[in-house]
Amino acid sequence: MLDGRIQELESSLLARITSARSAEELEAVRVEALGRKEGALTLIGKEMGKLAPEDRKRVGALLNGAKQKIEAALESKGRQMADAGLRVRLDAEWIDLTLPAPGPRRGHLHPMTHIQRELEELFVSMGFTVLDGPEVETEYRNFDALNIPATHPARDAQDTFWLEGGNLLRTHTSPVQVRGMEKLGPPLRMIAPGRVFRNESVDASHEHTFYQIEGMMVDRNISVAHLLYFMRIMLTAIFHRDVNVRLRPGYFPFVEPGFELDLQCLLCGGSGCPVCKQSGWVEQMGCGLVHPNVLRMSGIDPEEWSGFAFGLGITRLAMMRYGIDDIRLLQGGDLRFLEQF
Amino acid sequence: MKFSYNWIREFVEDLDCAPGALEKLVTMKTAECEGIEVAGALLDRACAARVESVEPIPNSHNVKAVVDAGRYGRKTVVCGAPNCRAGLITAYAPIGKKVVNGVESDGMLASGAELGLNRDHAGILELDAQVGAPIGGCVPDSIIEIDNKSITHRPDLWGHLGMAREVAAILGHALKDPVRPDLLPQGAGGIRIQIEDLDLCPRYSALVFENVTVQPSPLWLQYRLTAIGVNPINNIVDMTNHVMAELAQPMHAFDADLLKGGTIFIRPAKAGERFRALNEEEYTLDPSNLVIADAAGAIALGGVIGGLDSAIGDKTTRVVLESANFLGSSIRRTSSAIKLRTDASMRFEKAQDPANTVRGLARAVELLQELSPGIRVAGGVADQKKDIPAPPPIELPLDWLERKLGRAVEPAEVRRILGQLAFGVSEPKRGVFSVTVPSWRATKDISIKDDLVEEVGRMVGYDSITPQAPLVPTAVPPENAERRFQHQARQIFADQGFTEVYNYSFLSEDTARIFGFDPAAHVRVTNPIASDQALLRTSLQPGIWKNITENQKHRDTFRVFEIGLEIHKPEVDLTAEGILDLPDEIVHLVAALYDRDSDGVTGLFEIKRAAECLLPGARVCPAEARSFEHPARAADVQWRGETVGRLFELHPSLVEAGRAAVLDLDLQAVERLAAVETKYTPIRRYPSSAFDLSVIAGLREQVGKLESAIASFAGPLLESIQFVREYSGPPFEAGRKSVTFRLTVGSAERTLSSEEVGTIRGGIIDGMRELGYELRV
Repeated sequence: MLDGRIQELESSLLARITSARSAEELEAVRVEALGRKEGALTLIGKEMGKLAPEDRKRVGALLNGAKQKIEAALESKGRQMADAGLRVRLDAEWIDLTLPAPGPRRGHLHPMTHIQRELEELFVSMGFTVLDGPEVETEYRNFDALNIPATHPARDAQDTFWLEGGNLLRTHTSPVQVRGMEKLGPPLRMIAPGRVFRNESVDASHEHTFYQIEGMMVDRNISVAHLLYFMRIMLTAIFHRDVNVRLRPGYFPFVEPGFELDLQCLLCGGSGCPVCKQSGWVEQMGCGLVHPNVLRMSGIDPEEWSGFAFGLGITRLAMMRYGIDDIRLLQGGDLRFLEQF
Repeated sequence: MKFSYNWIREFVEDLDCAPGALEKLVTMKTAECEGIEVAGALLDRACAARVESVEPIPNSHNVKAVVDAGRYGRKTVVCGAPNCRAGLITAYAPIGKKVVNGVESDGMLASGAELGLNRDHAGILELDAQVGAPIGGCVPDSIIEIDNKSITHRPDLWGHLGMAREVAAILGHALKDPVRPDLLPQGAGGIRIQIEDLDLCPRYSALVFENVTVQPSPLWLQYRLTAIGVNPINNIVDMTNHVMAELAQPMHAFDADLLKGGTIFIRPAKAGERFRALNEEEYTLDPSNLVIADAAGAIALGGVIGGLDSAIGDKTTRVVLESANFLGSSIRRTSSAIKLRTDASMRFEKAQDPANTVRGLARAVELLQELSPGIRVAGGVADQKKDIPAPPPIELPLDWLERKLGRAVEPAEVRRILGQLAFGVSEPKRGVFSVTVPSWRATKDISIKDDLVEEVGRMVGYDSITPQAPLVPTAVPPENAERRFQHQARQIFADQGFTEVYNYSFLSEDTARIFGFDPAAHVRVTNPIASDQALLRTSLQPGIWKNITENQKHRDTFRVFEIGLEIHKPEVDLTAEGILDLPDEIVHLVAALYDRDSDGVTGLFEIKRAAECLLPGARVCPAEARSFEHPARAADVQWRGETVGRLFELHPSLVEAGRAAVLDLDLQAVERLAAVETKYTPIRRYPSSAFDLSVIAGLREQVGKLESAIASFAGPLLESIQFVREYSGPPFEAGRKSVTFRLTVGSAERTLSSEEVGTIRGGIIDGMRELGYELRV
C-alpha cells in the first residue's frame, strides 16, 4: 500500500523537478516533497510507525531511496538553473572590443630625436661622454680655438650668423670639442650632438638650421689606423650592417692630417649607381687627427697626447634613414609628417 | 677650378695615365675631383675646308654651300652663318647627314664656339690654313673639375703646374718646369715702384713692354682658356690669364701711356676714393682697401680687379705688366666688402708665394714673344719686396711618423715622396729627417711635422693602412644627467599623447610684440636670412603658437611639445675685450593641447595631468595673466617649493577657432629639483581611519588653498587629503559652493582611537571656522 504511494510520489516529483522552470517552482516542489511539516515524503515517514515491523524495514529503505533521488534531482536541477542564469547574465554583458580605446593616443618623438638617442646610446656604450654646448658661441671657440683665425679662407665656407655684440650662432658642433678638452682634460672620449646654423637660403636640400654630431678621442699614440678602425665600427653600428670606408685627403683646419671619409655605397655595394654617382662611394663625413695647435690651445700637450676627431651630419643621416626628401619638413612642425615617426 | 689634362701633360714626362684613372688617383691623394668633361670633342675630326660655291635656299636664311673638305672630299652643307661665302677657308666637321630646308646637308661648317675653341658663334671660323689641315693644331682635351673647397689650403693648386707636380709625384714621373728665368731682362727697372706697407703687399714686380700689338690670340690660346672656362679677350689679357692658370700667379696689364707719372704706388685707398673697375662698376673705397695707383689716383684694386681707365685697348702700344703678391686676408676682406670675387682674388686669398712673381714675368716674356711679334722689353725687372726669411727646416722623426700613421714607411720612400713634392730632405741624425719646405707650400700650408704626416700618408695611400683597434683604458663615461632628464621628459610627454616638434631658434619682431616681449631685450642677428628671423627666441611659446595655427588647418584636436633653448641676453654689457658675454641658454619644455570644439577646460586639466606625470605632486597657483594668456586661466606651476613653469590657456584672440592650453616648464630647474635620492619608509602596520569634510566657500575660492588650510589644521597624523567633489546650487545660496575632501589619518605606532580621530576632525573644524568657513559635517 505505502510502497505504491512512495513509488508514485517519487516518479511524479521527479517529473515535476525535471519540468520546473524557475527557482521558485523548484523550491515549491522541494517543500511539497520534503518540507518538515507538510512534505509528502515527510508525512509518509511519520506513518512508518504504524507499519508492521516486518514491513517497516523494507518501506523505510524505499522511502530513503526516494528522498535521496529527489534531493539529488533538486540539487542537480538547481545547479543547472544557476549556471543558465549566469550564462544569460554574462551574455548580456557583451561588448564590442573593436571599439577604439578612450584617451589620447601615444604621441611621437621627432625623427631627429630618434637618431640622436640612438647615437648617444651607441657612443655611451663605447665609453664616450655626451657633452652639450651653447648654440650661441664666441668667435674664439667657434673659429680661433679650432685653428681658424680671422684671416682664414675656411671661414668663407661656413656662412656665419653674427650676433650683435660680436658673438655668433655656432656653425658646427666642433666648439664643444674645445669645451670638452677644457672641462675633462686628457684622456677623453666625447661626443657632442646638437643644433648648428649656417647663413644659407632654405630649399628642399638646404637649411640654415641643422644637426651635427661631433666626436673626439684623445689618448696616447692615437693614429690614422685607429681612426680608420673606429670609423668603421661606428658606421657599422649606425647603419646596422657591415660597411667599408675609405679615407682621402680633406681639409679642415682643426685636424692634421684631415680626411674626407667615404662610405662604400650601401645601395649598390660599390658597383656604381645613381646615388653614388656611379663611383661606388658616398661622401659621409669629415675627420682627422686633432691638430696639435687645437690640443695646445685647450691646454693639452700634443707631444704627450694625440687624438682623432670627426663630425657627422645627422640631419642628412635622418633623411637617409627615413627617406625624407625635403629637409624643410624637419622644422616645419607639420603633424602629418611628425606623426609618422 | 678646372684643369686641362693636355696642359698637365706638358709638365709631366711620359704621362701615360688616362684622364679617368688620373681623376681617381688625384681624388684619393690630393683633392676632390668633381668630374671630367670633354672639350673640343670635334677637333680630332674637323679640318680646314674651302667654300667653293654658295647658293641661297628659298624661304630660308640658310645657304647651300659646296666645300672642298680635304680628306673628306667635296661636301654639300647647309650653313646659317652670315660670313659663309665662296673662297672662305673655314672649319668643316663631319657630323653626319641630315636634311635641312629640304637639302641634304653632310656635316657642318663650324664656328669657334661650336668647336669649343672660343665663345664666338657670330659666324663660322675664318682660317688662314691649307685645306685639310687640322684646326689651329688643337686636339680634344679632358677637363678635370676640382672642388674649390678641397684646395683652399693649397695656393699652388690654383695653377696647372702645381697640379702637375702632384700628378708627377703620384705616378713617380719627372716634372718639367715651363719657366725660363734666363729670359728676364737685366738692368734697372723699367718703372719705379713704391710699396707703402710691405705686410699688405710683400712683393710687387713689373716689366714694361714696348712695340706691343694688341690683337686676338691664336686659336691654341683661345682654346686653352675657353676649355678651362676663361673668356678669351686679346693677346695681352689672354697671356696674363694663361700665366695665372699655369703658375697660379695673377697678373695685370696696364696701358703704360694711360698712366700718370713714372711711379706705381701700392697704398691703402683714401677714405671715399672712387675707382672705376674693368667690370664698369664704380666703387667707393676706404683705407681697408689696398689700391695700385699712379700719380693721379687708383688704377687697380690690388689683387682684385684692374681699372677701366688704364685698360689694354686696340691702340695700346706700351704695357706695364704687374706681377705682385698681396696679403691673403686683406684681399679677402676687400673682396667680400665690395662683393666681388675674381680669379685673382680667389688665388690671392689662399696666400700665394711671393717668389712666384718674377717667375710669372719670365713666363710672360716667353709667351709675348710669340703672341705679339716684335715686342720689346724696356728696362729690367722692377721689383720691390719684403725680406722674408726662409722658414726653419722641420724635424721629422721617422718613428713618430710611423706612430701617427699607424704603419711604417720605408725611409727611402718617405724621401722620394717629399722630394717629388719639392721638399728638401736630409738626415742629420739617423731616423730623423730634416725637411725644408718649398716656398709655395710655406705661406700657410706647411709649418709643422704633422703637416708632413699628411704628405707622406696621402702619397703612400690611406688605403694602405690597416685599421687597428685603439687600446684605451676602460672607463665609465661621466654622465650627462641634464640630457638624460630631457630624454625622460620627452618620453613622458610622447607617452601622454604629445608629438614632438623642432622649431627654429629665430623670432620676428612682430611676433615678439604679439607676446608682449620687448624686441630690444633679445639677442639680435646682424645678418639675418630674412628680416622676420632677426631675433633669437627668449621663449618657445611663439613657435608652439605657430604650430597650433598651422596644424589646426588639418586637425580638430592635437597635442604638441618642444624641448629647446631659450636664449636670454646677458645682463652685463661687455667683457673686457668689448665682446658681449654669452647669453644664458635655458632648456625649456613647452607643450600645448588644442581642441576645436571645447570650452578649454578639459584641455587645461589634461595638460596639468601631463605635467604631473613629470612633476609628481606639482601645485598650480593662479597668477596674474600676461597679455597673451587667457585673463582668468593662467597659473604658475610650483614644484618642491619653487616656481618652475606656467600653465595657461592662450588668449582666445590668438587662436582662430577652438582653445589651446599651454604648459611651459623650465627643465633646467626641474632637473635640478628632480635629483633627490629615493629612500624607503616602512609600510604602516596599523589601520588608518578616513572621514569626509565639506567646506562652504565662495564660488571662486581655490580648492588648492582650502586643501592646504585643512591639511595644516590636521596635524602630523594626516596621511593624505583628497578632493572628492565640489557642488553649487540649492540648498546653497548663490555664489557659494560646497567642497568635499576625504582625509585619511593614522599612526605608525598604533591604531588611532575614535576619540583621537574625533579630536583631529574637531581641530580642523575649529581651525576652518576661525578662518571664517562653515563646514557641513
